[in-house]
Amino acid sequence: MGDERLELPQGTLDLLILKALALQSLHGWAISERLQQISREALQVQQGSLYPALHRLERRGWIKAHWATSENNRRAKYYDLTRQGRKQLEVEMLAWRKLAAAVGHVLDMA
Amino acid sequence: MLSDLMYRLRTLFRRRAVDGELDEELRDHLDREAEKYRHMGASDEDAMRRARLALGGAEQVRQQCREARGTRRLEDFIQDLRYGVRTLRKNPRLTAMIILSLAIGIGANTAIFSVTSTLLLKPLPYKDADRLAILWLRSPGIGIPQDWPSPGQYHDIKMQNKVFDDTAILFGRDYILTGLSRAMKVDGISTSSSLLPMLGVKPLLGRVFLPDEDKPGQAQTVLLTYALWKQSFAGDPNIVGRSITIDGKARTVVGVLPREFKLNHEVVPTVGGIDKPEIFLPLPMDAKDEQDYGPENFNILARLKPGVTMQQAQADIGAIAARLREEKHRDPSFTISVVPLIEQVVGNVRSAVLILLGAVALVLLIACTNVANLLLSRASARQKEIAMRTALGAGRRRVVMQLLTESVLLGVLGGAAGLAIAAGCLFAVQRMHPGNIPRLDELGMDFRVLAFTFAISIVTGIVFGLAPAIRASRIDLNATLKAGGRGLSCGGLNVRRDKLRGALVIAELAVSLTLLTGAGLLVRSFVRLANVPPGFNPDHVISMQVAAYGPKYNQNAQRIQFYQSLAQRVLSLPGVTSQGAISALPLTPSVGWGGMQIEGYVPPPNQPELQVDVRTATAGYFKTMEIPLTHGRLFSSSDTEKSQPVVIVDQKMADRFWPGGDAVGKRIRPDEKAAWLIIAGVVGVVKQYGLDTDTRMVVYYPRSQHPGGSMFLVARTTSEPSGLADAIVEQVRAIDPDVPVYDVATMQTRVHDSLARQRFAMTMLGAFAFLAMILAAVGVYGVMSFLVTQGTPDIAIRMALGAQRKSILSLVLQQGMALALIGVAMGLVGAFSLTRLMGSLLFGVSAKDPLTFSGVALLLTLVAVLACYFPARRAMRVDPMVALREE
Repeated sequence: MGDERLELPQGTLDLLILKALALQSLHGWAISERLQQISREALQVQQGSLYPALHRLERRGWIKAHWATSENNRRAKYYDLTRQGRKQLEVEMLAWRKLAAAVGHVLDMA
Repeated sequence: MLSDLMYRLRTLFRRRAVDGELDEELRDHLDREAEKYRHMGASDEDAMRRARLALGGAEQVRQQCREARGTRRLEDFIQDLRYGVRTLRKNPRLTAMIILSLAIGIGANTAIFSVTSTLLLKPLPYKDADRLAILWLRSPGIGIPQDWPSPGQYHDIKMQNKVFDDTAILFGRDYILTGLSRAMKVDGISTSSSLLPMLGVKPLLGRVFLPDEDKPGQAQTVLLTYALWKQSFAGDPNIVGRSITIDGKARTVVGVLPREFKLNHEVVPTVGGIDKPEIFLPLPMDAKDEQDYGPENFNILARLKPGVTMQQAQADIGAIAARLREEKHRDPSFTISVVPLIEQVVGNVRSAVLILLGAVALVLLIACTNVANLLLSRASARQKEIAMRTALGAGRRRVVMQLLTESVLLGVLGGAAGLAIAAGCLFAVQRMHPGNIPRLDELGMDFRVLAFTFAISIVTGIVFGLAPAIRASRIDLNATLKAGGRGLSCGGLNVRRDKLRGALVIAELAVSLTLLTGAGLLVRSFVRLANVPPGFNPDHVISMQVAAYGPKYNQNAQRIQFYQSLAQRVLSLPGVTSQGAISALPLTPSVGWGGMQIEGYVPPPNQPELQVDVRTATAGYFKTMEIPLTHGRLFSSSDTEKSQPVVIVDQKMADRFWPGGDAVGKRIRPDEKAAWLIIAGVVGVVKQYGLDTDTRMVVYYPRSQHPGGSMFLVARTTSEPSGLADAIVEQVRAIDPDVPVYDVATMQTRVHDSLARQRFAMTMLGAFAFLAMILAAVGVYGVMSFLVTQGTPDIAIRMALGAQRKSILSLVLQQGMALALIGVAMGLVGAFSLTRLMGSLLFGVSAKDPLTFSGVALLLTLVAVLACYFPARRAMRVDPMVALREE
C-alpha cells in the first residue's frame, strides 16, 4: 500500500506537525490523520515516527501537551502550539519556501 | 537552554509517569486506528492487526521517544546502576569484601591526604603568607647548621636590603606574671612594632603596638593573646588600660589579639624555646643596640616585596652576609639564609609526609588489584549472562559501560565507607599527638579532602573495573553459550592459564613487599634509636621547672637561699632519695651555650672562638640523674662564691682537648676578661637535644658559684615519680607562692616524647604495610581459591586416576608458591630502589639493611603459603565421585 507515496524528507515532519497544530490542538492519532488528509494521502507519514517527533518538539518547547477528554468521553493527550512554536513555524515555513523556490529555480534553469 | 534542561530533568525524575503516559497515548492511538479500520468493515481482530502494522513496533517507538527526550544515556546509566545494585546485593559476601578493601585503601589515602593538605597545601594563617620568610645564620663549616641573628645584623639587613618591604625582629622567653591568684609563667615575645602589622594581625580589643612604641623610653605596655585573656583574666572586657605585673614590673595592657592568631614554636623557634607566646612586649632598640653584633639570640622575620622571589631575596641577603663575614671576621662558611616561612614549619616533615602519601597510594593500588581480581573471578562466572546480553543485541560499548557502572558504584561505596575510616584515622592521629609534627591542631577534613576522596573513588572504580570489563566484553558468543551452565575457563589446575590474574597477584605481592621493607627499616631504626643510651637513667625521676625571678630574687644570696630551702624540703619528702638542679635539662627546649678559651689551645686562624654548651648544676643533679663521674670530683659544699671557681666538663670535651685523661686540674675561661676556671671533674656525655642528635661539648658550672633564677628541679623517687609531683609543687608554694612551677614531667615521659616523630612515622608506615600484606594475602587466597573451584573436575579426574591427596595439595601449593616467589623477587628489586628515598628517616640502619630485606621476604612468603594452604586443603578434600557426577 502507498508505494507511490513520497517519503517524507528529513526534518520536514516537525514542520508538518507544527502546521497541523497551528489550527487547533490535536491528539496524536488526530495529528497523523490530519497529516494524511492535508497531504491528500500523497505523503507517507510513518505513524511510529510521529511520537518521537512529538517528544522532540515538546523538549524544544515548541509544543506543550495536556490531557483532556475527547469527543466520545475518552481521555487523550492533546498537543498545542506554544508561542515559541508559532514563531518557529513561521521561520521554518519561510525557510522551506525559500528552499523550495531555490531548488525549483535551479531545476527550471536546465 | 534552560527549558530544555528542565524538561530533561522533569522527564528523568518522573520517568515512570512519563513512560506510563506514552503507553496510554500509544494505546489510544491503536484504538482509534483500529476503530477506523472497523468502520471500513474489518473484523475486530483484523482491525487491530492493521493498526499495529501501521504504527510499527511499539517497543521501538518507545525507545525512539526516550531518545527524543534526550535522556537515554542517563536512563541507561540509571538502569545500569539499578542493575548494579541488584547484582551487588545478590552477592553480599563478595560485595562486602570489595567495599571493605576499597574502604581501607581509600580511607587511608584520605587520611594521609588530609595530613598532607593541612601541612603542605593550606597557607599559613597570615597575610601574604607566601611572601613571609625567616632568616637564619649558618656556619656549616664549623658545625653550626643554624643560629639566631643579632640586633646588629638585623639593623644591617633592615637598612641595606632591596628585597623586603617589611622586616621585624623578636626575642622570646619566659616571663613571670604575678598579682593574680598565684604566680604563673607566661611565654612572651618582645618585638619591634612592625611584626604584628606585617603578619596582618588586627587587634580584637584595643590596639597593636604604635610605630614608635619600640623606641627606648616609651611607656611599658603589653598585648595579651586571646587564650591568656580568657583563662587568666576571665575575658575581662575592660582589660585595655589595666595594669599587670610582669617580671615584677607594671605594664599597661593596650590590646588583646584575636583568637585565631598564634605564632608558635613551629613557626618561629625562639632562643628561649617558648612554645606558644601568650604576651607580646615592645622590644626597645637604641642606637647602641643597632651596633650590637654580640647577642645572637633574636629571630628576624621579613616580608618579600611583591614579585620578588625567594632566590632573589637569598642573593641579596647573601651579599649582606658576605660583607658582614669580611667586616666581622666570621668563618668562611658563614652566611645568612632566607627560609620561606612555610618551609620553616613543614620542612623537616615534608619528606616523611610524602613518603607516607606514596605508601598509601601503594596500599590503594593493592586494594584495586585485589578488587580487579575478585571482579575477574566474578566476570568468569558471569560470562553466560554477558553472552546472553550480547546475543540480545547489547553492543560491546554497552556491556563495558554496564560493568564499569558497577565498578564505579563499588568505588563510590568504598569511598563513602573510606571517609568514615579516614575520620577514625585522623582522630587516632590527633590522639597519638606526635609532639613535633607541625600544624596538627589544624588537621581536619575540608573541601579539598572531600573532593580528593570523591575523585579517587571514581578513578579507583575505573582502574580496577576496566580490565575485567574489557575482558568480559571480548567474549566468544558461540563457545560460551554452548558450554551451557558451566563457565568457560574450566582450564584445569594451571595458574599460568590465567596470565592476567597471575600478574595482578604478583604485582600485589611485590608492592606489599616494598611497603613491608620500608616499615621494617623504620621499626629497626626506632628500636636502635630507643636503645640509644641517653647518658642518664630516666627511671623514677621527676622533673619540673622552678623560676625564682623578680625583685625578691635580685640578689644571688636570695636565690641560693630559696633553692637551699627547697632542696631540704624536697629531700624530706617520703619516697625521695635524691634531688638536684640544672639550668638546661636534657630533652627540653632549654639551652645555654657560650664561648670558651682553653689554656694552651689556640683556635686555627679565621675561625671564631670555641663554642660549648654551658649549664649550671648542683652535685645532686649528677647523682639524681645517675650521670657517671669518670674523673675527679663532683661539686661540693666547699665550692662557694669565695672559693676557687671550678667547673665540670663532659667526656666529649675531655676527649677532644685532653685525650690522655688528664683533664682534671686544667684551666679554661669564657673570655680574656674572666678568671681562669679549674676543671674539677669529668662526667659522662648526655643526649641533650634528642637521642638521634650528636651532643656538643659541655661545661657545667657549680650552682653555688653561679646561682641562676630559673632551674629544673629533678628528684629520684622510690615509687612512681609522677605521684610525687604535686607534693613537690606544694613545697615550692609553701616557700613562695609567687614562684611559678611548670613543665612538670617524668624523665621517662621526656624520653618517650622525644621519639614522637619517629614513632609516628613508624606506626603509620607499619600500619600501611600491614594493611598491604593483608590485602595481598586476600588476593593470593582469592586467586588460588578460584583456581581450585575452576579446577575441581581436573582434580577429580586426577584422583580418579589414582593421584594421592598429598600430591594434589603440593600441586596447588606449588602453583601458589610460584606466584609468591616471583612477587617477592620483584618486590625486593622495587624495595631496593625505593628505600633509598627514606634515608632521612633512618637511624643506625642502612637503607639496604640485609636483615630487614631477608626478614620481610621470609614473612611475606610465609603469609603467601598460608593464603595458598586453605584452598589447597580444599582441593585435597575434593570427592572425585561427587565432582565428576556434577559434570
